[in-house]
Amino acid sequence: MSIKKLKKDIFVHFIDNLIRTVKVIGVQAKGERFDYGLLASAKDLRLDYDVTLQPPKKYFLPPVETLVTYEVGDGYSSQYDCEQFVLIGVHPYDMVAINQLDELFRQDNVDSHYFARRDNATIVACDVVNPSKNVFASSMGTATVKNGYDVLLTDIGDSYLAEAATEKGENLLAKAAGAEEANKEDLNKRQQVWDKNEAGLNKHQLQCKVTDLPRLLGRAYNHPVWEEKAKTCFNCGSCNMVCPTCYCFDIQDDVGWDFITGKRQRAWDGCLLDGFTKVAGGHEFRKKRADRFRHRLYRKGKYVPEKIGGQIACVGCGRCIDACLPDIANPVNVYNRLVADLGVK
Amino acid sequence: MDRPRVAIFDFACCEGCQLQIVNLEEELLELIDVLHVVEWREAMSEQSREYDIVIIEGSITRPEDEKRLEIIRTRAKTLIALGACATIGGVNKLKNNFNLADVKQCVYGKAANMPHLDTAPTKAVDEVVKVDYKIHGCPIDRKEFTYVIRCLLIGKRPEIPEYPVCVECKARGNPCLWDYGQVCLGPIIRAGCGARCPSSGFRCFGCRGYVDDPNINAAKDVIERYNLSVDALKGKMVLFGSGQGPTNA
Repeated sequence: MSIKKLKKDIFVHFIDNLIRTVKVIGVQAKGERFDYGLLASAKDLRLDYDVTLQPPKKYFLPPVETLVTYEVGDGYSSQYDCEQFVLIGVHPYDMVAINQLDELFRQDNVDSHYFARRDNATIVACDVVNPSKNVFASSMGTATVKNGYDVLLTDIGDSYLAEAATEKGENLLAKAAGAEEANKEDLNKRQQVWDKNEAGLNKHQLQCKVTDLPRLLGRAYNHPVWEEKAKTCFNCGSCNMVCPTCYCFDIQDDVGWDFITGKRQRAWDGCLLDGFTKVAGGHEFRKKRADRFRHRLYRKGKYVPEKIGGQIACVGCGRCIDACLPDIANPVNVYNRLVADLGVK
Repeated sequence: MDRPRVAIFDFACCEGCQLQIVNLEEELLELIDVLHVVEWREAMSEQSREYDIVIIEGSITRPEDEKRLEIIRTRAKTLIALGACATIGGVNKLKNNFNLADVKQCVYGKAANMPHLDTAPTKAVDEVVKVDYKIHGCPIDRKEFTYVIRCLLIGKRPEIPEYPVCVECKARGNPCLWDYGQVCLGPIIRAGCGARCPSSGFRCFGCRGYVDDPNINAAKDVIERYNLSVDALKGKMVLFGSGQGPTNA
């Protein structure tokens, strides 16, 4: 697969031409922050962003989606979103999160709704230029990414290096008129960006190896930290909603006015929310705040890793830290507390 | 499907929530097609004494209104409280923070002692009679109203969010208004509005009432972290939350 060099003015032309032929989603300014949105012009694309308000998962798992429409007595019809799109600017930690979601949604019953969107996406990842105030991707081993994307962009000053990793990526880059082949010096510059990010995206330093987390949590179920932190937890679910790896959902039916046709929808849910574990008969098996607070960090550090070959399901984006009003959501603070009290064995 | 006999009654309120029903426009015909509306002062002249579903708008602010509501309840199989005044007492509960004689004097002046202006502490509908379902908000969300009606007609329990506004606000990709100096009640107020106010740049005023289990410790912690006083937060909570547990805590 090829590695091209695109001078920044050539890159702008490339993106503007792309916008004319396909739906392009890219990172843009939103007030003082950044977020993904439909891109109208290359000049709106902000690949120097620190972190987006929302992770890119909403393009594969929207906040609300219709899975099925039905008609009583006449069966049902699955609904798929099959529009092709290019997603530009995915930071490495978010790319790792998408890779994990791919693995999770492929397990057991393959989630065809997720993959209808995923398979129609071309992902252009982008190495971090400006670290956000709470990023800790370096601690989680997600400051750079080696797979999952179709194209990886790296800002090396006056140019972007663009590495195609798939056929989709090659096809995309083939449209970049005026692209040069990257030379050895360019690749050295890219390596410098990677080296810098692998150490520098680390506003919160995890005091153990990321691979120690499942065993650490295996000994921490009854630790007092869960009660202590949960005392000031709103259970507002903000940490779930902004998390690139949270993928829990709820499913509800809504019948039409004819009481014959209707739709089945799924919407994001969150394990911090009261009612998340409510089942038939009104029973709720994680009613206590502390139990719900603990569950999220166990999902990230133990339960999900057990499903995806040991990969830790916190990618260090820091969004939960930004979003948590009482400032208790920081996974590193909790994990470090456990390291300090229980040691690493 | 037999069309249930439905009546809509208003108590102390601005009638804005009923207006939301009238405002259903293209859906209004479908609504009255499946319901047999037998009494609705704002929209028709007929009256009735038998109801399958009664919709109560407004809060209860006079002793005679309590009696009227109790009679309505005995005639209704299912009772829905409609809008913030009915579900939580709404802005009408502000008066409970003051001496009632002073309130009357302030509002009615010379006429304050006329017998028809007699007043009592404001109550939400469920402080007087049993309420089966609540449709929250000031005003109500039309989509939520029609959803609840359709659920009742097929004998299904409607799912009203138990979680706070932050869920819908974050799902819409909004930055947190606390970061912009606003004392937003989103973390402790029931969702279902689609975070309409925060999405327009206004803090949550709390019109849908508190979630079932709001964390007072967390609220106190946050106002300290933002160098605010407890009174600053309470000042925001009294508009819709007067006389309710978390406001007093």
